[in-house]
Amino acid sequence: MTELAGYVLSGLVTGAIFALLGSGLTLSYAATGVFNFAHGAIGFVAALLYFELTSGAGWAAWPAALVTVGVFAPLLGYALHRLMFRGLATAGETPQIVATIGLTIALPALGLWLVELFDLPAVTEGASARGLGPQPAGTWEPLAGVRIDSDQLVVFGFAVAAAAGLWVVMRHTPLGLRMRACVDSRSLATWRGIDADAASAQAWMLSSVLASLAGVLAVPALGLDQTAFTVLLFAAAAASVFGRLRSIPVTFAAGLALGVVQNLVAGYADFAEEVTGLRTAVPAILLLAGLVFLNRSRSRLAGSIAEDAPPPDHLADLPRWRRILPWTVSGAAGLVWVLFFADDYWAGLVASGLVLSLIFCSFVVMTGIGGMVNLAQASFAALAALTAGLVIGEGLPFPLAVVAGMLAAVAAGLVVALPALRLGGKVLALATLALGLLADQVLFQIDAFSNGTLGWKFPAIAIGSTDTNDPRVRIILLLDLIAIVALLIRNLERSPSGRAVLAVRSAPTAAQVIGVSAVRTKLTLFAVASAIAGLGGVLYATFAGQIFASDLRVNLGFVWLAVIVLQGVRRVGGAVVAGLIMGLSHEILSHVTSSAHVEAVLFGLGGMILAKHPDGVLAQFAEQRHRRRHRKEPPAGEAGDLPVAAEESVLALRNVTAGYGDATVLRGVNLSVRSGEIVALLGANGAGKSTACAVSVGAVSPLSGRVVLDGDDITATPSHRRSREAIFLAPEGRGIFPGLTVEENLTTWLPGAADRAAVYERFEHLAARRDVAAGSLSGGEQQILALAPALIRPPRVLIADEPSLGLAPMVVQQIFELFGELRSRGVALLIVEEKAKEVLEYADTVAYMGQGRITWTGPRSEVDADQLTAAYLGIGGTA
Amino acid sequence: MRKTTRIAAALAAVALAAACGTTENKGGSSGSGSDGVTDTSIKVGGVLVKTSATGYSTGGAELGAKARFERANAEGGVNGRKIDFVGAEDDNMDPAKGTTVATKLVQKDKVFALVPVSSPQFGGAAFLEQQNVPWFGWATGTQWCGTKTGFGYNGCLAPKPGAGTQTWWGNQVAAQIGGADGKSAFIQGTDSSASKYGVGTIGQSFSAAGFKLAGTSAAIPATAPPQDWLPYVNKIMKANDGKAPDVVVSIMAGAKLNAGLFGALRKAGYKGAISDATSYDPSVLADPAIKAGLEGVLTAPQFEPFESDAKEVVQMKADIQKVDPSAKLTQHVAIGYWTADIFLKVAEKAGKDLTRTSFLTAASTFTYENPGFGKIDYPKDKTEPNGCGALVQLKDGQFVVAQHLKCTDNVALKQ
Repeated sequence: MTELAGYVLSGLVTGAIFALLGSGLTLSYAATGVFNFAHGAIGFVAALLYFELTSGAGWAAWPAALVTVGVFAPLLGYALHRLMFRGLATAGETPQIVATIGLTIALPALGLWLVELFDLPAVTEGASARGLGPQPAGTWEPLAGVRIDSDQLVVFGFAVAAAAGLWVVMRHTPLGLRMRACVDSRSLATWRGIDADAASAQAWMLSSVLASLAGVLAVPALGLDQTAFTVLLFAAAAASVFGRLRSIPVTFAAGLALGVVQNLVAGYADFAEEVTGLRTAVPAILLLAGLVFLNRSRSRLAGSIAEDAPPPDHLADLPRWRRILPWTVSGAAGLVWVLFFADDYWAGLVASGLVLSLIFCSFVVMTGIGGMVNLAQASFAALAALTAGLVIGEGLPFPLAVVAGMLAAVAAGLVVALPALRLGGKVLALATLALGLLADQVLFQIDAFSNGTLGWKFPAIAIGSTDTNDPRVRIILLLDLIAIVALLIRNLERSPSGRAVLAVRSAPTAAQVIGVSAVRTKLTLFAVASAIAGLGGVLYATFAGQIFASDLRVNLGFVWLAVIVLQGVRRVGGAVVAGLIMGLSHEILSHVTSSAHVEAVLFGLGGMILAKHPDGVLAQFAEQRHRRRHRKEPPAGEAGDLPVAAEESVLALRNVTAGYGDATVLRGVNLSVRSGEIVALLGANGAGKSTACAVSVGAVSPLSGRVVLDGDDITATPSHRRSREAIFLAPEGRGIFPGLTVEENLTTWLPGAADRAAVYERFEHLAARRDVAAGSLSGGEQQILALAPALIRPPRVLIADEPSLGLAPMVVQQIFELFGELRSRGVALLIVEEKAKEVLEYADTVAYMGQGRITWTGPRSEVDADQLTAAYLGIGGTA
Repeated sequence: MRKTTRIAAALAAVALAAACGTTENKGGSSGSGSDGVTDTSIKVGGVLVKTSATGYSTGGAELGAKARFERANAEGGVNGRKIDFVGAEDDNMDPAKGTTVATKLVQKDKVFALVPVSSPQFGGAAFLEQQNVPWFGWATGTQWCGTKTGFGYNGCLAPKPGAGTQTWWGNQVAAQIGGADGKSAFIQGTDSSASKYGVGTIGQSFSAAGFKLAGTSAAIPATAPPQDWLPYVNKIMKANDGKAPDVVVSIMAGAKLNAGLFGALRKAGYKGAISDATSYDPSVLADPAIKAGLEGVLTAPQFEPFESDAKEVVQMKADIQKVDPSAKLTQHVAIGYWTADIFLKVAEKAGKDLTRTSFLTAASTFTYENPGFGKIDYPKDKTEPNGCGALVQLKDGQFVVAQHLKCTDNVALKQ
């Protein structure tokens, strides 16, 4: 019993660190939508700084910790926000995962490189820093036989205090409300005057502080060991997953529990000793269990990275020969060089790069085509190689070994695909990571499988009179295989199954509706990708002549992923280039620097590039070329076809041209709203009404033309500043934060309690539900909640996009009465409607929009049915 | 289903391509055999773990080798040839990187041999064997053992079952604590297959020396030091029929792990002897917590300790001083030094007509004794350890020699 109490108590201390790290992970994910795989790496660099300050510069522990956690951590968080996370917030999920994985590689390497560069005390094995507690540590015995020391108390105390502080900040401060509002609906938060960018900067700073605190608290026990910090991150991720990546208190509790469970397993699960690695794998097992059982109800469907359409093909207008010309020419030149001029060394480097290229082709299938991120690709390759080694070790022929290796990889791929059927994006990435760790820590530790520490030996492949000991033979063989794989991938893309893949990827629900089986599609993808990775793995081992269980660790897959995605993961060309970069980088860099960290920094920093160019370097070249060629074409805007509106207008769009990407929607719009006037903007679906609203509030920047507010040009003013000053937008759908309570929803526009009381006084049914999540209100109540704040603190301009959509006639009546009241208080209102009936009763001025232009505008009294119909149908009808 | 047929076809194509047959990885094309040798010089370079994710480093071996080579050069070289030591490459403890840097040394830098090689996960073995390039170092892994070209300075430390395994560690600890009779030992490793293997061999070393094995454990997580040692310590404290064992032996690598375990053992009231293999490192003295944790621990270097007054050791320290007066004397410095020493002796035996073939012929049957590291006897020591080691104790924050280097007979490793 005492023993049990001891395990629980000291497990809570270990758990406190998991909990602290996990809370930061949950916070940053909840507040910014980016799951930060580099969270542990931030802890590591903080620990590194703390070490340099204490052990290096001789500072006392407390000031060093204060500088690390209080000054360095927020600065680092802010810098990362500016350089990376800001761009990632709007990037797809694949770049998000890969960029933070890259950061995991780059950040510690950068820290260690700086230590090397400035000749600071080096980080040697076992290097560690003293804890924050008194030295020597005091010891107490709260129960007979249960000891606890001051170091443990300090760790636990800090963790609990930090978590409590965090909870208070998130729940009970304006800062927390702003962050949560941004999570709920980033654009709506902007339209309520919240600077979403600043809020996420604050979230990153806060999360960086938490990671750094965990790092400083953990380093006395862990030492400055990058691997140990990565392991710590897995435990924290497990805690975070149990908190469903949303709830900080649950994450914290799960972290504590994890520490206790780990201790109990270590103390009591003697049976586990039979299976090498099982205890080491406790965090990975829990992570996997949490992902599979807790996260299935998430809205993500079909294991793809949400709706993510492929980027435009900027080379689509080029003839086929022109598209392949650069590849053919440079490929042929390279081949001639490597076969006839390069010495064995360079040929060997190219060959080793091409093996990786072959393995990378599996990323093209999995991530490029399927849109899924698999972090266990290195483990697939290792599994295939070890299986092949086992077969060869049995004295069976090599071709059989190749097939067996590939089949093993395919089998593993199908196992991994099972969670993929219900998980997507980062959840899938985490699940594959957990499986990869399990393979490393348990499966590959089975002596019979990996031949213990001996590993398996591989023979060379004989082809005619020569064999693969000659790197040139390897190169030709690999190029052939890559060509076969490229053909296979092309057929896959063009076949019915390929179209099914794209359908599932771009719109999982729609694909389901038209009868595309997401299950079969994904199983196919996993099988093909695993087979390719398996083939690559077997050849990797064959050309190396040997394979050890530790050769292809799961972390290696991180580097691979970062490099391939940076080159562009949608084409085999990207895989080939990425493989060659991996193969040649060491040699090339050795001419520049002797530091081993630079390579890691460069590979990892690719993540930052990715934040800006999510489709990789090769696609970036194509896009630049496309832009250069199209620069000469004039913008689609035309001169205004209507006189500029009256001067007394509050809000005016002057000759605005705007659109999305290459598609121009507004083609010279002139529109103005005066104080105390309701302007009804009518038009058919797709006429550009919502885009006009978006331009007004600053969600879309016009290509030309101006937005004027009270005579001032606000075209360049950011959205949240426009809202803070004057413009209130009730967007299409419901303008509420469904995840926040009614009270919190109101607070975003009405920080003063008296103002909110005024709302409740007027709308009693809202008062009754002030602590209810706004998402659970009825449609009408939601619309009232969206507009009520404007009634108490009237803006200069209110823009309502389809306010009557989906509401009962009575509620519509009520809403328009509110508009009337606002008009009488001098607000300028712009009401966008598709259905003209109700709005025409209230409007002072009516504007018709058709095909991106205002086709007619005038007082309501001049509106006649024919004009309306004509405008609606977009047939003539200009003023 | 068409897809399946297509995949099957692709599989078949691959199998077909591979079906051309296989061949042994044997002597490569570049085996001219005299790469890196001129009339006046022999070019050599090493592969070490200089930096790694865990912080583990064998980088000191570069300095040791350099010191030994400089003395050889000052004395006129080997058969009239000076050693052109190009330094050591860093493999980051990554097998793939190990292959890359070994390839670079052989094919680009054109070294004659790789000296010193010290990396637990060295990946270049197959390449060097295939290219017929001799490589010398600390043979901690199976990659060295039984190869034609790989040589461990103190033999092969990862023998196969049936081959000889060392007994010196058990014997030295027994000598230190006044005999093994009626005493029990507990062997602690980490949760990986390599460590489990180590627990087996070292357990055998202690039973051969007369200890009763109170227990073994390979339960400590392999990837990161536990932040809480309580469950592991509890197990050890009850291992000897409910009592603590007389000796706790840790085969874990790394001062952080060992100091953590030992500190926790002491906190729990453990009074017996403690021994490990890797804590003989002056850098641990820099960290007060680790220093305190390792106080009194018997650490087991595989060479005569620096604190010894044997003339070979005095010479070694002088040689190192000459190259780097501020050098930290770590195990790896000594390992690099003795590795280089053995390489020089073999090169001397190979004679004036030095090629890789003549060198490997000379090395294939070679014996040499030196009080600095004991003795070496190839080919026997290509499959088993040389059976020599010493004990150093940390006393009041200073390392002192507890037992001078001794060689004891190996016993056959049980399955």
